[in-house]
Amino acid sequence: MNNILEVKNVNKSYDNFALKDISFSLPKGMIMGLIGENGAGKTTTIKIILNLIKKYQGNVQIFGLDNSQNEKEIKEDVGVVLDDSFFPDILTAKDINIIMKGIYQNWDSNLYNTYLTKFNLPNNKQIKNFSKGMRKKLEIATSLAHHPKLLILDEPTSGLDPVARSEIIDIFQEFIQNSECSILFSTHITSDLEHIADYITFINNGHIVLSETKDEILEQYALVKCRKDEFEKINKNDYLKYKKNVYDYEVLIANKNEFKKKYDIKVIDKITLDDLMVLMIKGEE
Amino acid sequence: MLGFIKKDLLMIKSNWKFLTILFIVYIFMSFSNQMDISFILPFMSVMVMISTFSYDTLNKWDNYATALPNGRKNLVKAKYVATVFVIILITLLTTILSILISVFHHDPVNFNELLITIISSIFATLLVQFIMYPIIYKLGIEKARIAIFVLVFGLVIMGGIIINCFDLSFIGKYLNIISDYLIIIIILLTIIFYLISYYISLKIMMKKEY
Repeated sequence: MNNILEVKNVNKSYDNFALKDISFSLPKGMIMGLIGENGAGKTTTIKIILNLIKKYQGNVQIFGLDNSQNEKEIKEDVGVVLDDSFFPDILTAKDINIIMKGIYQNWDSNLYNTYLTKFNLPNNKQIKNFSKGMRKKLEIATSLAHHPKLLILDEPTSGLDPVARSEIIDIFQEFIQNSECSILFSTHITSDLEHIADYITFINNGHIVLSETKDEILEQYALVKCRKDEFEKINKNDYLKYKKNVYDYEVLIANKNEFKKKYDIKVIDKITLDDLMVLMIKGEE
Repeated sequence: MLGFIKKDLLMIKSNWKFLTILFIVYIFMSFSNQMDISFILPFMSVMVMISTFSYDTLNKWDNYATALPNGRKNLVKAKYVATVFVIILITLLTTILSILISVFHHDPVNFNELLITIISSIFATLLVQFIMYPIIYKLGIEKARIAIFVLVFGLVIMGGIIINCFDLSFIGKYLNIISDYLIIIIILLTIIFYLISYYISLKIMMKKEY
């Protein structure tokens, strides 16, 4: 079993939204970034993986086991940060330690307290008196303290300042040092992923646009900047999307090397995940 | 499951200042004969447990708990166990308080009467809670508050109509016949309601989509 997580042909319909044929896999020892605009289906996908949503078509396997049939066994080894749900905020970090000892078999109070110290989080202060960043750090400390093999994090860095985000990213990198562990990490702050992700899965409007290694994406995809007359010479099959600016055109291409051979356009910039997301969502075909 | 029970109890503990003030007010009212001690139990117990549901909802705890091992099942189980724990605690407090009030008023303590009052109080309280919990799990605390209000209001009106329209003296006769077993019957009924309510709540939670 090389894949720690496998999502196969998952479909889920709501009145005004549907996840369509979602498939991707996350190998051991890797970090996958799940990107997409708000409402694209990232959280729904995560909820399906965690069995928070039970009625869907398709198959989800974690550690080679079916996620609904082996739910308890799987969840003992999964650490979770959800976007907007956590412990009631009248509790303290100390209370969470007491509670979690009775929930996870492998709960490690020492490790938990180490994270609290590392993040400068007070033990006896009610969560409602924490700043948003402190609360997020507490959620992350809680997700890590039972030695999980898989971390599933929905927007773990949202609301954090750049310093705190960098601290969290370092913690994730430490976590992944164990080659048996993986992280699935949804975010719209794509710059975080450019530092740490091995794989990128991009969801738009309920379906997967791409799921590839980050290096492949950054190597193959590129942003061409050109004048109108240059753009008009580009064959429609040679680009994915384009955006018309006041003075130039931004064109998203999926095969940088072939494009370079075929066209004499000077400005071919490296693509960022942000550019990729914006052009894929807002660009014209 | 222990962790989930501890969570509810720690939440109640976090509210100790408010609960202590409330309890002192009740004590004062009971000593000055403004309120019967048997009212404290249902009021306090229902209020304490409903407040845990409210805090859970506010922070979407159920969502998070479902992502934990055996979360759906333990979430429900813990609420029912914590309810019994709270009832036992408040019962102990009210029993001591009742004895103290009797001593204060120089009344002889009638333990038999006290026992029946307390057990009936526990039964009535748990009955209300056991009706409430499945409704809360199904509708959420906000809608459930309205539904429970309508339900209780409806039951009171229905009770009033029945008492006014029908001759219920036969019930008194039956109560006399079973009076020796009244406590056992009440305990058995409480256990039956407990189990029925628990399984309905569990069924609702196991199917719930987040």
